[in-house]
This record gives sequence, C-alpha cells and structure tokens, in this order.
Amino acid sequence: MSEKKIKNIFVNGPIAPAFIADSIAKHNSKTAIGGHSIFMGQVRKDEIDGKFVAAITYTAYEEVALEKMHQIREEIFEKYPLSCMHIYHSLGTVKAGEICLFVFASSVHRKPAILACSDVVDRLKVELPIWGKEIFEDETHQWKENI
Amino acid sequence: MEIEIISFGQITEFINNQKIEVDGITDTDAFSKYIENRFPALKNLKYKLALNKNIVQHNTEITNQATIAIMPPFSGG
Repeated sequence: MSEKKIKNIFVNGPIAPAFIADSIAKHNSKTAIGGHSIFMGQVRKDEIDGKFVAAITYTAYEEVALEKMHQIREEIFEKYPLSCMHIYHSLGTVKAGEICLFVFASSVHRKPAILACSDVVDRLKVELPIWGKEIFEDETHQWKENI
Repeated sequence: MEIEIISFGQITEFINNQKIEVDGITDTDAFSKYIENRFPALKNLKYKLALNKNIVQHNTEITNQATIAIMPPFSGG
C-alpha cells in the first residue's frame, strides 16, 4: 500500500456538476460495486452581522495536505472494505452555491461506502492544512472557522 | 542559524514569508516563544507548526536552514 502514488485532490476553482456526473459514469464498468456514497460540500451564503458571504477563497499547504490525505486514505482503506474512493477539494475562489468538496466512496454493499465517506469528510476538515477565507459582498473578509 | 518562515491563512496578514538569522533557538518550543514574542497576535490563535513539512506534534529539534510553517486552525471543506 505504501508504494501507492500520492494523488492530487486539488481542483482550481469550483467543482463542476458535470465533473461529478462524469465521475459517477466512469464507475459503470466496475460491476462488483453495489453502493456509492457521495458527499458534496457547497459554499453557504452565510449572513454575518448583516453581510452575506459571496465566496470562499481556499488556500492550502499543498504538499503537506496531500501527504496527510494519502495517510488518511490508507487508514480508511484499512478500516473499510472499499472498492474505491475519490476526493476533490477546491483551491482558489468558489462562489456561494458552488461545490468546493466532493467525496465519493464505493463498496460492494452500501454500509462501508457510507461510513467511509462520512469518516473521511470529518477527518479532512480537521487534519488537512487548508484555509477558507470568506469574502463578503462588499469585498471585506473573515477567516472561516470549522465547527 | 538560518530559519525560513512561511505563514498561512490569517497569519499571512501579519507575518510575511521571510528568512531569519537567529541564535539559541534549537527546538520548536523555543521557536514558538520567539515568534509569539515578535508577533503577539499569535498568542490568541491556536496555531500549529510544520517543521520541514512535518506537522509538529511535540517539541522537535531545529537544525540550520529549517523551514517552519506557521499555520492557524484548519478550515477546509
């Protein structure tokens, strides 16, 4: 497992719905799969002190994030019997309503896919050095905090 | 000893990427004290360090030409 190549998870800008659809379509040849679980994170138009979030600009310590994601992926594959798992996270600016995170786990029966998908989302929010800067409609900003 | 400092997220607003020449800083605990003293705004943040691209979990020795990243709480997703 450890000789596995480190995969890039970063996408410049929002993750297009067509990319997600295409990703689903690519699995139709993998006929051992019986369940997919998908999580998509969408930029929320939060209201803070009367101002609305227009977009989030993401930055990351990319090399460290990819190394950490590799470790998490290996641990998830050891924990759950998955057929495959794909993870994409935006960098740069993603407008409110657009997709910034796409996690896609697949397994023979549904439960490992559902649990792995949930687990990996929880872990990447806490463990990956990625930062979101919330840009308001008046171009002021605040730094996003994960709850 | 030369240390390269890189910052991320909100910390970029008050610490620029820079190289510093310091003596007597031999581990990451000493570095934290030094940097908090120079940039008191850090004291209010739960920041983490990465030494040569490894996230620091416990006090670690720093050698010459180290790169230290100063990282505020992560907020991806």
